[in-house]
Amino acid sequence: MFKSMLIKEFLLVSRDKHALAALFIMPCIFILIMSLALKDVFNEQKSMLSLAIIDAANNSSSEQLISELQDNSVIESQLLAIDNNDNITQIGSQFLLTIPAEYGDNSDVVLQAMIASDVTQNILLLFKAQISQIVMQQKLTDLNKQQIAIAKKMGESEPEAITFSQDDIINAQYANLGENQKPTSTQQSVPSWIVFGLFFVIIPMSTIFISERKQNTLMRLSAMNITISALFAGKIIPYLVINQIQVWLMIAVGMFVVPHFGADALTIGGSLPALFILSFSLSLAAIGLSILIATSVDSIEQATTIGGIINILLGAIGGIMVPKFVMPEFMQELANISPMSWGLEGYLDIFLRQGNVADVQNEVFALSTFGLSALLIATVIFKIKLRKVA
Amino acid sequence: MIRIEKLCKNYAQKKALDNLYLSISGSSIFGLLGPNGAGKTTLISILNGLTPFDSGEVLVFGMPLSSHLLEIRRRCSLIPQSLAFYDNLSVIENLNFFAGVQKIKGLEKQKNINYAIEINRLGDMLKQKAGTLSGGQKRRLNIAIGLLNNPDILFFDEPTVGIDPQSRNEILATIQAFKEDNKAVIYTSHYMPEIEKICDQVAIINAGKIIKQGDISSMLATDGQQISIELYETDAALLKACCSAFPVLSISGPTTLTLPAESEALLGELLALFTSKPIKIKQINYATTNLESVFINLTSTEK
Repeated sequence: MFKSMLIKEFLLVSRDKHALAALFIMPCIFILIMSLALKDVFNEQKSMLSLAIIDAANNSSSEQLISELQDNSVIESQLLAIDNNDNITQIGSQFLLTIPAEYGDNSDVVLQAMIASDVTQNILLLFKAQISQIVMQQKLTDLNKQQIAIAKKMGESEPEAITFSQDDIINAQYANLGENQKPTSTQQSVPSWIVFGLFFVIIPMSTIFISERKQNTLMRLSAMNITISALFAGKIIPYLVINQIQVWLMIAVGMFVVPHFGADALTIGGSLPALFILSFSLSLAAIGLSILIATSVDSIEQATTIGGIINILLGAIGGIMVPKFVMPEFMQELANISPMSWGLEGYLDIFLRQGNVADVQNEVFALSTFGLSALLIATVIFKIKLRKVA
Repeated sequence: MIRIEKLCKNYAQKKALDNLYLSISGSSIFGLLGPNGAGKTTLISILNGLTPFDSGEVLVFGMPLSSHLLEIRRRCSLIPQSLAFYDNLSVIENLNFFAGVQKIKGLEKQKNINYAIEINRLGDMLKQKAGTLSGGQKRRLNIAIGLLNNPDILFFDEPTVGIDPQSRNEILATIQAFKEDNKAVIYTSHYMPEIEKICDQVAIINAGKIIKQGDISSMLATDGQQISIELYETDAALLKACCSAFPVLSISGPTTLTLPAESEALLGELLALFTSKPIKIKQINYATTNLESVFINLTSTEK
C-alpha cells in the first residue's frame, strides 16, 4: 500500500514543474547566490573601510603614514591633491583623513578625520582602531630608531625592533572549529536555505492534498478501507524521502558547485548521524505544518497564498533571510518561536560547530514535537471535514 | 443483499434519514431516486461506512455494517459523482495505484485491472494522462477504478453527469453488463429516462423516508396511471376554489386537471361539483405516464 502511495506522490511531484522549481531549483539557486553575495562578509582580508587622504604635511612622517595606510588590507585608500576642495560625499569615501602640516614634527598636531554621515558606529570604531594601530606602530618605530642611535653612540648592541602585529598580540580561534578554520559564507548560507527549502513542501503537498479532497479522491480512498493514519502516512513517508533528497542535493551544491563560482566549498563539520536525525525531524515539522495547512484551508489558492506567507514569515523571523546575530535582542528572542530557527540552529551546530547528536537533541525534540502536534491537529480537522463531505 | 430497518440520521436539527426501511436483493440494478436533500447521498455514505448513523439496523451481505465494516467495504465499491482520480497520472498508473492501495496483488491485480480496462474500453488510452481524456473517457476511468476490487455491490452516484448522449449510452451499457456478471448496482441519478432504461427496481426517497419501492413496471401500472380532465375556458379563481376540496387533484394547466387513477372514485363527486358551477368539461382521458411524472407526483404529494 505504502509502495503505491510512494510511487504516486513521486510521479505527481515529478510532473509538477512548479513543485520541482520550489523544492529543488529555487533553494539551490538561493544557496549559490547567497554564498557568492556573502562571500566577502566572512573574508578577513576584504577592505571594509574606504579612505581618502590629503597630505598637508608632505614630510617623511606623513609619507610613512600614507605607506602604512596603503599597505593595510582593511583600508582602501586614495591620495588626494592638497588643493582638492571636494566634500566627502563627492569623493565617495567613508572617511577623509587630512594629515596636517608639521605632522610628526610637532607632537601637538593630530590627524583630522571627516566622516561620512552614513558611517555606522561599528565602522567608526574599526577605523579609529586601525588608525591608532598604525600611528602607534609609527611612534614605536621612531622610538626604536632613537634607541638604535643612542645604542650606537654608547657602543652597545642594537635593541630589538618593537613591532605591533595583531598575530603577536592575539590568537583568534573560532569556537568548535579547527586551528585556522573559519566560517565561510557557504557554511552559513547552506543551512539557511536547506531549512527554507524543506518548508517549501507546503506548496506541492497542500496542492495535491486539496485536489484529492476536492475531487473526493480521499473519500474514495476512505471507502477503500484506507484509514486516516494510513492516508497521512502515505503523505509523510514520500515527502520525508523527498526532503532528504533536497537536503543532500543542497549539500552537494554547497560542496561541488559553489566553489566553481569562487566561494568556499561546504564542509560537513559535525557528525553524519546528527545530520540525518536533524534532517528527518525538520522534515517531520515541515510535513506536519503542510498537512495542517492542507486540511485547514478550502482551496488550492488559499493553500499557496497562506503556505507562502507562513513560509516567508517563519523564514524572516527564524533567521533565514537575516542572520539572527545581526537582529536586535528582542528579535532574537522572537526567532525562537519559529521552527525554522530550531532547524537552522541545529544545522549550524553541525556545519559550523562540529556538533554531534547530543548537540542537536534539543532541536530534534522541538522539531519532532512541533511536527507531531501539527499532524494531530490536522487529523482532528480532517476527520471533521471528511464527515461533512460524506 | 442489503436490508435497512428504522435507519435514522440527524445533522444538527435536520433529519436526514427518518426511520428508513429498504431492502435490496442481489444481482439487480436498483435505482435510488429523490429530490435534492432527500437523503440519497447520506444513505449511500452510510452504506459505504463514510458517515455514522444514529440508530437503526443496516445489514449488508447479512452482516451488520457497524461490526463488519472492513469486510463489507472489501466487497463494495463507491463510484463517486466527481472524477476521483489523479489527472497527472496516466490511466494505467491510476489503476495500478488504486489497486495497490487496496492491497490487491499479483495475478488477481492483473486480472481485475484487465477486466476494468476491457469493460470500460480503456485499452487504447492506458498511457494517456487522465487529465487529457475526454469527459466520457474520464467517467469510464472513474468506473474502472471502482471495479478493481471485483465488488459484489457497486454504488453509482450520478455517473453520467455532464457527458454527451453517446458516452452516456456507453456507460449505461457498461452498467447493464455488471448485472450479467452477478453484481448488484445501486444507482442514483436525476435522469429519469436513464433509470427507466437500466433499473429493475427503484426506491423513491423523500425527506429521509422511502415513500415508494418496487419494480418500475408495477410502479407505472399503479402510480403511473392517471385521469386527465380537460375543461373549456374557466375562471381560474373558481377552478382553484373547487379543486381545493380535492387534495389529490392537481391543476396541470389553465384548463387541465389530473387525478391519480386510484382516486377514480372521486370522479363522480368532482363532476357533480363542476356541473353545479359554470365549469364545462371538454373531455376525460385515462393515460399512462412515465417515471418522471410518478416521481414528481409522489414527491410533491409528500411535501
